Amino acid sequence: MRPAVSNRGSGWTILLALFILSALPFDLHAAERHLSESIYDTGHLKPIDSVLKVAPGDIAPDFELKAISGKSIRLSSYRGRKNVVISFVPAAWTPVCSDQWPGYAITRRYFDDADAVLLGITVDNVATLYAWTRQMGTIWFEVLSDFWPHGATAEAYGLLRSDGTSERALVFIDKHGVIRDIYVSDINVRPPLEYLVEQLAKLK
Amino acid sequence: MHSKVMVILGFLMLGMVSAGPVFPADRVMELLPDFELPIPEEPGHANYLGVQNIEGETFRITDIDADIVLIELFSMYCPFCQEEAPAVNELYQKMQALGTAGPNIKIVGIGASNSPFEVDHFRNTFDIEFPLFPDQDMSIYKALSGAGTPGFIGVRFDEGKKGVIVLRQSGGFYSTDDFLAELIEYAARR
Repeated sequence: MRPAVSNRGSGWTILLALFILSALPFDLHAAERHLSESIYDTGHLKPIDSVLKVAPGDIAPDFELKAISGKSIRLSSYRGRKNVVISFVPAAWTPVCSDQWPGYAITRRYFDDADAVLLGITVDNVATLYAWTRQMGTIWFEVLSDFWPHGATAEAYGLLRSDGTSERALVFIDKHGVIRDIYVSDINVRPPLEYLVEQLAKLK
Repeated sequence: MHSKVMVILGFLMLGMVSAGPVFPADRVMELLPDFELPIPEEPGHANYLGVQNIEGETFRITDIDADIVLIELFSMYCPFCQEEAPAVNELYQKMQALGTAGPNIKIVGIGASNSPFEVDHFRNTFDIEFPLFPDQDMSIYKALSGAGTPGFIGVRFDEGKKGVIVLRQSGGFYSTDDFLAELIEYAARR
């Protein structure tokens, strides 16, 4: 008697399990699409919290930073070869930043047209940047860590904020290593794509 | 004992599944908030929506020639919207293929916080044929109580052309056929 009851019990369990499994992929799919829920809401921040130390016409301060690709990237290595756009974003896992680079994932042709590379920089460490950017689809550009000495590159440009994050800024550098334009955005707002495209066209 | 625990666990998980991403709004009559969109300059788009002869420069969702309008909330910058774009195109093609045999279902996209340039870039990147509208200040997104992108809001036109929200979905849909079938079902309930 006992085994029979127990068998019936496990039969129900199997049925239930099957039912759950049949419904589960749908739910997992939805969960997959809600990675954005991992994003920390910073609330509204002081729009700009640093003072630029460079200006258009200056030679861009050189740096060598670790990339999530495993490479070490030196800015001056592009001199004579490529125009460079640096996209500083404040920090990983924050709302606007988590949106900005995925947009650049589908705008590569504007950079290619201008013979430019894009370097994305934040003050986070490599492991954090790796995990964060993996959810962004195809990130074709180098993502660099300005973690240690903390924010030293951002600081050299005058883009380090008082809380250790960086500004949301675009720096356009030509093949001579000269800064052609700097756009320090309100940290709460993405720089419009049209601005990026206009400045890229000027680098041609 | 073990199987009892499994059964209880099973029921708990069922609870999670039923709290999935689709929220049928039928129980509460949620009216579509009032907002206006610019009449598309592209004649094909204006014709598709049936708003080509409206006076002035704007129209309302309820002016659209349809039984059901699906509003897609998207952003050029949202990776999941990029990923979903081919499926949404496929859904649009299937809506069109219904012809006069099925209900008249139309789709429009609202580019949350996107500039016109960014919306154009999204359109060109994914060859999107249905009309997309920029919502740079997110006023439409907020009026619609958007909850993330991609998001979908189904609007049915009831008596007197009142727009009623019959479907809200955050995140992508699983299959274009199932999602279309769901929309057709909502159209039939009118």
